[in-house]
Amino acid sequence: MYKAVGFFCILAGCAGWGHSLAGQEKERVRHLMMLSRILSRMRSEISYGKHTMPEICLLLAELDDKCYASCFGRIYERTAGEGGTDFPKVWEEEFGKCLAPLPLREEERRTMTELAKSLRFREENGQAGRVGQAEVFFEDRYRQAGEMVGNRSKMIHSVSILTGLLLAILLL
Amino acid sequence: MRAEEILMLFPEGSRDRWREVAKMARRLQEIRLRACLPLSILVDNREYFVDRQGQIVDIPEEAARPLPEELENLLGHLCKYSIYAFADEIRQGFLTVQGGHRVGLAGQVILDGEGRIKNMKYIRYLNIRIAHQIRGAADALMPCLYEDGQVMSTLLISPPGGGKTTMLRDIIRQVSDGTVYGRGINVSVVDERSEIAGSYLGVSQNDVGIRTDVLDGCPKVEGMMRLIRSMAPRVLAVDEVGSLADAQALQMAGGCGCKLLATIHGGSMEEVRRKDYMRYIMEQGLFERYVMLDRRQGACRIVEIYDGEGKPCTRQ
Repeated sequence: MYKAVGFFCILAGCAGWGHSLAGQEKERVRHLMMLSRILSRMRSEISYGKHTMPEICLLLAELDDKCYASCFGRIYERTAGEGGTDFPKVWEEEFGKCLAPLPLREEERRTMTELAKSLRFREENGQAGRVGQAEVFFEDRYRQAGEMVGNRSKMIHSVSILTGLLLAILLL
Repeated sequence: MRAEEILMLFPEGSRDRWREVAKMARRLQEIRLRACLPLSILVDNREYFVDRQGQIVDIPEEAARPLPEELENLLGHLCKYSIYAFADEIRQGFLTVQGGHRVGLAGQVILDGEGRIKNMKYIRYLNIRIAHQIRGAADALMPCLYEDGQVMSTLLISPPGGGKTTMLRDIIRQVSDGTVYGRGINVSVVDERSEIAGSYLGVSQNDVGIRTDVLDGCPKVEGMMRLIRSMAPRVLAVDEVGSLADAQALQMAGGCGCKLLATIHGGSMEEVRRKDYMRYIMEQGLFERYVMLDRRQGACRIVEIYDGEGKPCTRQ
């Protein structure tokens, strides 16, 4: 009886672990899509609205996604508010904090955190073009990850259940 | 004007140098930064210099000399790291920043194929003109601007730096809010250079009254007719009338039943009379009052008030 309960506990644990890993992959895809959309919105606000970067952050602080909304809100507060801190520095710090716990690759994090360093264009099309480059990067990553996530998820689930079975046989 | 507001004009890393200057915020008129040349400030119409440690000195030899990179960095900061968003203003040679302060720019101009200014590069000369709203600047003038409770069309005349815009801003505020001489009425302002209201993010940084609508950054000629059609003002205000087209637009606005408040550059009534657009203005009888202004010891002073025919009517 105890062996049967132990067997199912080990199996459930490993399946849960696999499910969590697969969930992280899906979460990564969602964040890549979100970042691509944010950059697309930024690009259009630069091209058509001619808003400044802090103003764009204020607009993006109303996003549904609370993680990014609060990040943009803080950037606006720190740059346009009483502090008047330099924009590239605040962007790097806030996005560093915001993206740290997310399941993104190092290159993806760096692309986003270092984006503000390239805000030196004197003309909106040049600036929008630079933001557009980052947008294309995230869109490509999103497409690649989206195509792979289904298969990877199946593989992770299978491996985790097999690991559970193997562990149960070895231990019990 | 708070000292912090002056400090916020500069990038975070260089604010220490400006602490002493910021303490004089109330009397500070200009900060002039020229690449590799002494850094100067204008306080109460007197020039001083600022050294590397931020101390105020009298001798240019002891002054700090900002590097071109420092000026580029300052420009980026003033433009909120979004220089593209200020391209139109840079083309015109000035920026209006938070607090309504105006930054004059000079550098190398880039022309388009038709010889028009397309943009500016190597911006190496910056003149930060500190905005000072002086509430009550127009108190002495207000009794002369009303007749039977109605405001009269008024043209303010002074040399550059004579306090025209300060005076105009306060007249607008008082006409809009209402005074003992007349009730508050709707005022529309065409603020072509963002100097009157000092709008930032569309919100006026200066108090221009509770019944005032501001059309910011719009050329005067287009702006005046647009406001008359859309906002139905009783009084229309514009700064720095400087061409016959401006004068003709004022005449059209006056013809629509609006009272006019405007300013013009000029050292004396005789001098302005020689300008073709001023002759047009006087022939058309667009204004009922002409006010000559001057600045003495930092304060705006009324030199002479003329009636609609250009005859002196009051001397203070």
